[in-house]
Amino acid sequence: MTQYGFYFDNTRCTGCRTCEMACKDYKDLDADTAFRHVYDYEGGTWEERANGIYEQSCFTYHLSISCQHCTSPACTEVCPTTAMHKEADTGLVVVDVTKCIGCGYCHMACPYNAPKVDRAAGHSVKCNGCQERLEEGKRPICVESCPVRALDFGDIGELREKYDGVSAIAPMPPSSYTDPNIVIKACDDARTPEEGDGFVANVQEVI
Amino acid sequence: MGTAISELPLAIFTTLAPIGAGAFIVLAVLFLTTNLSKEQAHKIDLLSLIPFIVLVIGFLASIFHLANPGHMMHLFSGFGTSPLSNEVVVGIIFVVVTAIYGICALAGVLKTGVARKVFIVIVALLALVFDVFIGMAYMMDTIAGWYTVLIPIQILGYSLLGGVILGILMLSLAGLFKDVCKGGLFATLIVLLICGIVCALVGLCGQAIMVSGISNPMESGADLVAAVAPELVIAIVCLVLAAIAGFVLLGIRRSAALVTIATVLMVAGVFLGRLVFYALELSVGL
Repeated sequence: MTQYGFYFDNTRCTGCRTCEMACKDYKDLDADTAFRHVYDYEGGTWEERANGIYEQSCFTYHLSISCQHCTSPACTEVCPTTAMHKEADTGLVVVDVTKCIGCGYCHMACPYNAPKVDRAAGHSVKCNGCQERLEEGKRPICVESCPVRALDFGDIGELREKYDGVSAIAPMPPSSYTDPNIVIKACDDARTPEEGDGFVANVQEVI
Repeated sequence: MGTAISELPLAIFTTLAPIGAGAFIVLAVLFLTTNLSKEQAHKIDLLSLIPFIVLVIGFLASIFHLANPGHMMHLFSGFGTSPLSNEVVVGIIFVVVTAIYGICALAGVLKTGVARKVFIVIVALLALVFDVFIGMAYMMDTIAGWYTVLIPIQILGYSLLGGVILGILMLSLAGLFKDVCKGGLFATLIVLLICGIVCALVGLCGQAIMVSGISNPMESGADLVAAVAPELVIAIVCLVLAAIAGFVLLGIRRSAALVTIATVLMVAGVFLGRLVFYALELSVGL
């Protein structure tokens, strides 16, 4: 079985949102829905030294993530209908819309803010790794759209061999919760989830 | 409070279902401690429709939470793994067994003997299990604000407090409150009332204190608690006043007005407590 996953180069990302917008456009999502989010993570302070000179430790970086297609997804574990499930041959976490009741449990449980309930459609919606594009031999639209090539997608085993990286940086939760299938090349300012001394500066944009 | 309002159908469900279930616990205590005449038992059986209807309204409200109720038959697929499926299965077993109990009682099949006592004890035990499963349905390790045993304790408290007040209402409507509320029944209702208010306050206040000390990169638990502080205070006041009214009623054994006030305060307190609970949803992540 292949387990697909994403690669994200945190040293390259400029926070331009092209990935997010390309996804919204390709998936024809409304203004309130996005399957990929770009989080602006900021922190640090300005402090006055004894000699009157100010010293700063400010930092900011961007994190572009969608569904992590986790190995132990919180969304599938709580789903009462098994509509939210992992595809056997790809490891992608997708919604069986013929079963979903739209209870929102997946939305509550996911620590990556991935699934949402589309009440008009009557079921949960989320990133499916552009399954239909994969079948055509293409990569997900977010990956193809990135102007700085900060995203990649493929077999997570191969991605982990190809890129040196970690599976989580702040503001993501520790990867121990769901075992996310992502490789991240962290920038120098990146914090581990446990350090977490910054904050998400664009909350209203991403909720 | 926005999160809480969006969960309004669930708040109504988790208010009414535990209260209705709690009343059947009180009914079990009534039949175990009191020798009721055939006529008295029949009156109580008719009035048992009140908690049953409360329970059913709760379940019906929960359906409005779903984006696609048409797929509800798939709800049982997750039994054993999904806490929501477990809650629904236990809830349906409880409602069906309670309905069978009610039909048997009203049809005159159940007298006031051993069969009645065994059946109502089974119903009461299922009510307790249902209460715990309602609370456990929210205990997900990725939601730090809910991942605590304080949640089932909260629900159990609301159920016992609500059950005793609803039980007093039923006994009053049956005209039996003054005559039967003594001895074992009186003592047990006092104990249940104390357990109910203690569990409700420990569960609710404990959750608020816990959440105020945690945060994630998106929001601070202290901010969440501050945002619902007025609702939290009003909920606590309503619950405490409802419990005090319950103690007074058990002491003086009459006063229709106070029964009404106690019932309104209890429902308001539990409902606000549930809204506060939903407002304190705090993920471990984003």
